[in-house]
Amino acid sequence: MRLTFLCNIAGLMLWRSWRTTAVLSFMVVSAVAALVFLSALAVGTNDAMIRNSTGLFSGHIAGSGIREADAPLPQLPGVKQVLVRRQQQALLSANGRLEPVLLMGVDPAQEQATTAYWKKTVAGAFPTAHEEALFLSQETAKRLQLSVGSRVTLVNPQGAAVKPLTVAGVYKTGITQLDQGLAFCPVGVLPTGPTELSIAVFLQADAPLEAIAAQYRRLLPSAVFTPWTEFMPDLKQLIDLDSICMAIVVTLVFAIVSVGISCAFLIFTLKNLREHGIMKAMGLLSGDTALLLVAQIGMLTVAAAVVGTLVGAATVAVFAQIGIDISAFTSHNQYFSVSGVLYPRLTALALFTPPLAAVVFGLAAAIWPIAAIVRKNPADILRSV
Amino acid sequence: MLEIQALSKHFVSGRGHISALTDISFSVEQGKGVILAGRSGSGKTTLLNCIGALEVPDSGAVVYNGVNICTLSPRQRTLFRRCEVGFVFQAGNLLPWLTVAENLQFPLELNDIRGTAQQRRIEELLATFSLAGYEQALPAELSGGESQRIAFARAIAHQPALLLADEPTASLDSSNGRQLMELMFSLCRTQGTILVIATHDQELMAMTDTVMALKDGRMEKKP
Repeated sequence: MRLTFLCNIAGLMLWRSWRTTAVLSFMVVSAVAALVFLSALAVGTNDAMIRNSTGLFSGHIAGSGIREADAPLPQLPGVKQVLVRRQQQALLSANGRLEPVLLMGVDPAQEQATTAYWKKTVAGAFPTAHEEALFLSQETAKRLQLSVGSRVTLVNPQGAAVKPLTVAGVYKTGITQLDQGLAFCPVGVLPTGPTELSIAVFLQADAPLEAIAAQYRRLLPSAVFTPWTEFMPDLKQLIDLDSICMAIVVTLVFAIVSVGISCAFLIFTLKNLREHGIMKAMGLLSGDTALLLVAQIGMLTVAAAVVGTLVGAATVAVFAQIGIDISAFTSHNQYFSVSGVLYPRLTALALFTPPLAAVVFGLAAAIWPIAAIVRKNPADILRSV
Repeated sequence: MLEIQALSKHFVSGRGHISALTDISFSVEQGKGVILAGRSGSGKTTLLNCIGALEVPDSGAVVYNGVNICTLSPRQRTLFRRCEVGFVFQAGNLLPWLTVAENLQFPLELNDIRGTAQQRRIEELLATFSLAGYEQALPAELSGGESQRIAFARAIAHQPALLLADEPTASLDSSNGRQLMELMFSLCRTQGTILVIATHDQELMAMTDTVMALKDGRMEKKP
């Protein structure tokens, strides 16, 4: 028997029993749409954590051991911005107290255009380019009993005063590495003396992290370039864990949905038991009967998976524009220190895994109804129905 | 030539061991018709099923053109039904999600009759059974008589050598039933088809010389 004819019959069975088909399809459509959205949301959550963590200060790639002669670094394809920072060990003296800090000389305009730590200001403001001022963490300000407008003195390791500065602003990020032992000032204010160059490379969305880091390593073999996956291994693990959880969710949901489809399809098939008996009596081979049922469930799941994917993608498109604000639940989470708004994002994996799983599990769900019909003798069917 | 030789069949059910057929023997020549008469439960349908290779008897043989179909494999029996047998069941035996034309197309596709030959055969059948114009109708849109005419048309579409009908006029009024059966007997004579009908309709029994009466699975009268 021609496959096209069998498929045609399978299609007609579905089309002309459209109410049953619609009910069966709804289960698959809703599962696929929900999982496309959930997958995109998981990607969006990972994006937000990476964006927040790297965008705050460090960038996607941190470079150290850069020589003066190497700066400024070339801007490679996929790189949005490269911030050069000069750092110097220093002591801050105020109110009879001393506090060791790593003083970062930065270009305020560039920092404000690219990073977000300056937005975490709790008092005062980020200093301007020519201001003889410091931007201190709340922790350091507290230890030195300083507030905005206070005077503080830079002291060299020998204890001699080097430069007086004013506190322009106080910040608090909630991240220990930034909130302790770090102070910022315009690069021109940095006292003369030995400085070290460091860079923060900010990448465009979807730029290949490891490849760009490797390119920089090739360009400057003497420097060290570390991608965020290495200097924030906890975040890397969290994202991997998120991916594993999502894979488990997809598998579990479709395992459950496939049992539902199998039960519903068995009922649908048994409802047409007499017709299957008639077709078998007329000479439809067991293989053809199995193929007919596979074609039916295949068509149903493929069509429903396509619709579900479109519904899911449309929902993602809407929420990718407006975002989902979960700030209320992330205020104490360092990975959401800049913004608690999630923007679901579709990737090939997020878009195609749920429909593919639906089709695979749907076809697996066909085994039970097929076995139920194929092993039945047509005479028994016609006698019993 | 169809020969039924000492056919016996029993079932085991909750009611115990039931002898559906016991030592049934008869033969029918090509182009002839035979009626299996008897009350409900007399074994008519089981005998039809054995002749149509839907069931395998416990003992005995169904020999068609020298081949004992009871010894065929399940696949060979299915292919035998596909090529050599046409079935008319009691009411409601059309495929409900296929139109009249698609129902007629089904046995033709099974037997690899396609293209213009298929189209010509469908038109011919519709004209023979006075159903021209009903091609796109679904079974649910047809009357009982029209449905049964389509069922007959479908059963003979691939020109089978054996036509088996189980209570074919049960859902028809006597006039429609008689007309349809006259047409069937006439077509079978013309095409040399063996017609075996299971019925308890007295009017039908008058239409053929060969009536096999069954009672409790045993033959009451030899042809």
